[in-house]
Amino acid sequence: MLVGTVPFGLVTGVAAIAAGLTPLQGVAISVLAFSGIAQLVAMQLIAVGSPMILTVAAATVVSLRLLMYSAALAPHLAHLDRRWRLLLSYLMTDQSFASTVRRYGEPGDRTHKHWHFLGSCSMLWITWQAAVVAGVVAGSGVPANWSLDFIVVLTFVALMVPVVRTRADLAAAIVAAVVSLATLGLPYRLALIAGSIAGIAAGLALEARHRRRAP
Amino acid sequence: MSTWLAIGAVGLVTFLLRASFIVFADPHRFPHGFRRALAFVPPSVLPAIVAPGLLLRGDTVDLSLANPRWIAGVIAIAVAARTRSTLATVLAGMAALWLLQWAMG
Repeated sequence: MLVGTVPFGLVTGVAAIAAGLTPLQGVAISVLAFSGIAQLVAMQLIAVGSPMILTVAAATVVSLRLLMYSAALAPHLAHLDRRWRLLLSYLMTDQSFASTVRRYGEPGDRTHKHWHFLGSCSMLWITWQAAVVAGVVAGSGVPANWSLDFIVVLTFVALMVPVVRTRADLAAAIVAAVVSLATLGLPYRLALIAGSIAGIAAGLALEARHRRRAP
Repeated sequence: MSTWLAIGAVGLVTFLLRASFIVFADPHRFPHGFRRALAFVPPSVLPAIVAPGLLLRGDTVDLSLANPRWIAGVIAIAVAARTRSTLATVLAGMAALWLLQWAMG
């Protein structure tokens, strides 16, 4: 789990400098957002001088899956007091969600499992922040003709491939890619939002058609 | 200053999305249709980021052999599908890009 975190964090730190953020800003967004995808998308928009509302909108769209995780974990954490729930919310990520759901599915006393959640999340937090700081430090010294900005795209490729599982996923992916290219003329990378919404609509439409055909 | 405001707002939004149901709302009131739409967020958002990153040269879409990025991207997609490894994908894609750039002079 932590093996993939280090290169992703390093790249995110390098990308912060490439996007024109100061080292302090690069670390600050990492501590506040604690999400590689949200950080990278926000930094790309900050780099092109996008209005704040659009930067936040794009970061929200790419972070909507966190809403899904929150709904799935809420019943398991309902017995904890508010301070615990605030802390665990802040620390929740794709990786910790996956391992925590598995752990809560195991038999045993539920009342102490939040300590495991805290432990695994804290390890991930420390690893991630250390990798980002290392990337921020290295990023200031990397020459532009190394094309390191391409690492960001490749990181998204690595995230993208495993989430396309069904035919409806593939339809969503293709429509999103085509629409994001067709709307490139829009300012402030609105193509990202346009492509995402078109992809979601295509996925839902194909899924609905399959359901109607099924006996 | 505006950069700091954007950083703060992005931090707040990601926190509120995480805390939404754990701290504030009842997940039983989560509409089913919305849940189905959310399942398509990752396979839609990521290609919408990746496609321009691979195909854009300057301001225009370039699908010719003179654009090394999409060729390196196809290699990276193949490596990602086989290995599921972020590190292997990034290393293969960067190696391909550097080789193609060097070959094209």
